[in-house]
Amino acid sequence: MIAALVATLPDMPMPVLVLAAGILVLLLAIACRGSRPSGAAGGTDDRTDGGTVAGAIISAATIALAFIGLWSPASPPSGGMARLFAADAWFAYGTGLILLSSGGILAMSWRRMAGERADEAHLLLLLGTLGAVVAAGSANAVAFFVGLETLSLSLLGLIAYRPRVPDAAEAAMKYLVLSGTSSAILLFGLALAYAETGDLRFTAPPAANPAEPALAVAATILVLTGLFFKLSAAPFHLWLADVLDGAPTPVSAFVAVVSKIALFVALARYFAMTDLTGTSLPAQDLAVVAVLSMVGGNLLAFGQTNLKRLLAGSSIAHVGYLLVALLSAGPFGAGSAAFYLAAYAAATLGAFAALGAGPDRPDLAAWRGMFHRRPALALALSVMLLSLAGIPPAVGFFAKAYIVAAGVSAHRMLLLAALIVSSIIGLCYYLNVARIMMAPAPDTAPAMAARSGGTTVLLAALALATLLIGLFPGPLVQRTTALFLPAVPATETAARARGPFENMRW
Amino acid sequence: MILNAPFLLFALVAVWATFMVVTRAVAIHALLYLVVALLALACIFDVLGAPFAAILEVIVYAGAIMVLFVFVVMMLNLGRPDRLRENTWITPRTWVGPGILAALLLAALADALAMAPPDGGPVVVIDTRQVGLALYGPYVLMVELASFLLLAGLVSAFRIGRHIRGEDAP
Repeated sequence: MIAALVATLPDMPMPVLVLAAGILVLLLAIACRGSRPSGAAGGTDDRTDGGTVAGAIISAATIALAFIGLWSPASPPSGGMARLFAADAWFAYGTGLILLSSGGILAMSWRRMAGERADEAHLLLLLGTLGAVVAAGSANAVAFFVGLETLSLSLLGLIAYRPRVPDAAEAAMKYLVLSGTSSAILLFGLALAYAETGDLRFTAPPAANPAEPALAVAATILVLTGLFFKLSAAPFHLWLADVLDGAPTPVSAFVAVVSKIALFVALARYFAMTDLTGTSLPAQDLAVVAVLSMVGGNLLAFGQTNLKRLLAGSSIAHVGYLLVALLSAGPFGAGSAAFYLAAYAAATLGAFAALGAGPDRPDLAAWRGMFHRRPALALALSVMLLSLAGIPPAVGFFAKAYIVAAGVSAHRMLLLAALIVSSIIGLCYYLNVARIMMAPAPDTAPAMAARSGGTTVLLAALALATLLIGLFPGPLVQRTTALFLPAVPATETAARARGPFENMRW
Repeated sequence: MILNAPFLLFALVAVWATFMVVTRAVAIHALLYLVVALLALACIFDVLGAPFAAILEVIVYAGAIMVLFVFVVMMLNLGRPDRLRENTWITPRTWVGPGILAALLLAALADALAMAPPDGGPVVVIDTRQVGLALYGPYVLMVELASFLLLAGLVSAFRIGRHIRGEDAP
């Protein structure tokens, strides 16, 4: 077994290997520290805090190394093996975003997670990142499912991280039940696909007998339903607001950013070989869900007085925008999806970082007059919300314009109409937050979270990135477009390692 | 091909038992039906030519996981003076439904075992050796990643369970 394992290790993408090794090192470090006898109560606190910092450093180093590992040359897949991973450019891009976001979340919680020691949080964060990377890069249904479940189970522990908080337990319970249900639906779909095609490739199954596509279509729809649950696209979105509200703020960011990036990357890979331009049943399903998510998510966020719930609605709506990009197969479609993913990740992560640095409770009322009390924080949150709303200086404007361009060139008029209407609804509530922050400050200041250096640095970096990429989107556009240009299959190896999007009809 | 009489019977038993699971009000009654449903699933696996999966289904699900369920049900009732009510849960009458279904399964299984396997039939038997070769050959990385999946579950359960016991910091 060891020999077989060593022989197949090069098949695993480098980030997966690095993350797995990092998890083992962190586990070892925690175990070593835990076996030491604990001293007096006063003395322990310092020492354990030091241990937590060591854990954070190990986690940060792991994430950084995994990020560097993205540039390692892809080894040719060994012959005769079931192909488990697709280490192509789309995977590298998605993994890069996942790792950067995880690094950001680590910066938010490197010492304390919701007032608790963050030892297990680091471990669960790395495990969740590993699951996300595996799910994003899988070319095989087994690999995808294992990655997805690793992600879900780590999230469960993170959501319930605050002890004796009824909201946290409730959120974890809701997540557990719905995640289990959606996994069952997903598995059912994968099993039907296996029954139809006889292989476990993670792609929408072509009908074995084109005259009777019922089984293949049913399999695709079931897999889609499972993915929609995890992506929290409407009408499968009901859990998101409660989970984001009950979880600690960094975990909310993890749910809203990392897990959605991973699943969207996987969703795009699932449909890489499928023509989504026509009126096939999966394409119609995607279109209906996209419209429902855009309109429903924004309506959900409209009139919310809880900022986390507001961001949950906004996150649902952004999944809808991403689906529009996915449906607009054309010269811009795939590139705009990749670009939008980056813009969404930066802005949402930043918004949650601002919430983490702000008042203890995520009530909108607590942010009243924040421009007078903490101008930098209020400015940062405004930049993130402007980006989410799609207002020019921030990157969100260009990202949305890119999707609209893709939609126009693919003649998706109905979807674009829904996008524009829901964006206008979105403007109202994003700008309402800014309006409340500019209002005169009340006399009683709400209790603020303890200042954390990590969050401040993250917030500044994200605000800068959001504005800079918004002003100079060229390099990122080139990068995202280059992801999907057909590489010249120079050798047989290169032909086998081709990206998923090259078979898409342009 | 596989839509023969035993398969249909197993499938009907599985569906009916699962229906009874979700409609029972008392957890213990539902568990009895759940055992039958899992046994029926195991029989289906066997008919499909996967005896190894069938045995695993019996050992892991009908065996280990069910014991866990029964344990939890018992622990949740700890300390309540309702022994009488518990006694009324398991009356001979509750055994009738699952018993009949299980007897059906047994009869069908015996019938299936007695029949000579058709030569060159469509059912290819996948034995333990093939499962092992697949797991430790092309899917060895999945076995390794599955260990990380278990680790994630373990750490999450540890984190949640530690505070249920009422401990603060270690």
